[in-house]
Amino acid sequence: MNKDTGYFHTDWAAMTVNDWAGLIVTVVVAVVMVVAYVLVFHPKNKEGLESQRYLVDGVEGESGPTENRLHGENK
Amino acid sequence: MEAAEKYDFSAVRWFSVAAVIYLVVGTLVGFYIAAELAWPVLNLDLPYTTFGRLRPLHTNAVIFAFGGCTLMATAFYSVQRTCGTRIWSPKMAWFTFWGWNLVIVAAVITLPLGITQGKEYAELEWPIDLAIAVVWLSFFLNFVMTLVNKKTSHIYVSNWFFLGMLVMITYLHVVNSLAIPVSLFKSYSLFSGVQDAMIQWWWGHNAVGFYLTAGFLGIMYYFVPKQANRPIYSYRLSVIHFWALMFGYVWLGAHHLQYTALPDWTGSLGAAVSLAMIIPSWGGAVNGMMTLSGAWDKLRDDYILRFMIVSLAFYAMSTFEGPVMSVKTVNALSHYTDWTIGHVHSGALGWVAMVAAGALYHLIERLWNVKMYSAKLVNTHFWMATIGTVVYITAMWVSGIMQGLMWRDYDEFGTLSYTFAESVAAMVPYYKMRAVGGLIFWLGGVVMLYNVVMTIRKAPARAA
Repeated sequence: MNKDTGYFHTDWAAMTVNDWAGLIVTVVVAVVMVVAYVLVFHPKNKEGLESQRYLVDGVEGESGPTENRLHGENK
Repeated sequence: MEAAEKYDFSAVRWFSVAAVIYLVVGTLVGFYIAAELAWPVLNLDLPYTTFGRLRPLHTNAVIFAFGGCTLMATAFYSVQRTCGTRIWSPKMAWFTFWGWNLVIVAAVITLPLGITQGKEYAELEWPIDLAIAVVWLSFFLNFVMTLVNKKTSHIYVSNWFFLGMLVMITYLHVVNSLAIPVSLFKSYSLFSGVQDAMIQWWWGHNAVGFYLTAGFLGIMYYFVPKQANRPIYSYRLSVIHFWALMFGYVWLGAHHLQYTALPDWTGSLGAAVSLAMIIPSWGGAVNGMMTLSGAWDKLRDDYILRFMIVSLAFYAMSTFEGPVMSVKTVNALSHYTDWTIGHVHSGALGWVAMVAAGALYHLIERLWNVKMYSAKLVNTHFWMATIGTVVYITAMWVSGIMQGLMWRDYDEFGTLSYTFAESVAAMVPYYKMRAVGGLIFWLGGVVMLYNVVMTIRKAPARAA
């Protein structure tokens, strides 16, 4: 076993319940993050997500700063 | 419908004013203990006024009194505005206000008396910990129920950040505070040895990550667009910023325990995730700053906006510095030195206090329906805060790196070149410089308090 492969060597038989729990949580979180990136940056979701920017002005029908609307349309 | 009729901001007003008062009080204690390190005679030979007892008073005052009141004011305000609904229970908001202030009073009494659990940022003894949990849950419940009653189809991103903070701080506070009481004012942690240390820093770093970062990012995502009068630059980036922060931050605590009894891989994992966190943190900082894209001229005369944008620069700087310091090679030099203090204050003064000041100025104008008494004084405060922060952190960077280098230096026989006392003596000029930086920052807070008081006094009677 060279130095590099030795670094990644894992004694699977010695894994405790805590080790497995940590490993599973780590892998699940990594996968969920990849899913989040794909969903958020998929072009078909752009309009739906970016339209929520205007919510900072309050609910629909409540007057918000005009400049906000213009800024959004130009983007 | 008038905002005053549609929403209930009565407790928000009190939280806002209390936050400004606690900023002045908390940083005054900070300045005093900084001066004690430069001029030890200021300890006064009294146990109540020693650095060891006043330091937790300072951290509790600025983090929980100033930071807490700011978070509660801004969360209760923005959740109503972004959900188009009245706060679920105004009475419960008042309970949160008085309960939180009662906790602060308890801290002011017990910490100088030396009543402490000895856990950093979690010093308060078990009866006060229980009170914190109850009051925090009232904040949590009221916020969530207001969200439930929302008139919008979507929950705006600032509320997600506040919600993330509320969930995680509840979890962290309860677990880290688990203790066996042996008397009314003494308890011992349920954990021991390295597990206790790990739990402590899992809490300690996440107090920074979820309370001082996620919570204040909630402030940023609402107040920067409102003050700039423009929507956030990229909503998609804010979503990624949120989820990456939630998933990432909980892993970082172990980087506080490099080269200790903690398993080596835990510290490496903490450092690796810390480095990965630069990406979402910078994404968030860029998102906030680019909100001004095409309208940078606003910074010329909008001093409140200046606070917010400069705070984002400090946020970007400290979220780069932190991960670098977590790397073992750098940590070997930086740990236990004043560099850590400099890093913490670049985040606390530069990011947290400045974005909070911007948000509080914005709030005061809207809650009392009046412009600030003096825009010039807002600008004066901005420059005092910026200069004070820079002087402070520069002093600590220089003294910290010098400390680290002196401690590790040895001669050809393997003997340490400097005694510990020599390294302490070498720090004195920088401790004086730090105290000056703190004094400038504190005076800026006094200017803010004066400006806020004068603004409220000139407000129309109906709004006040």
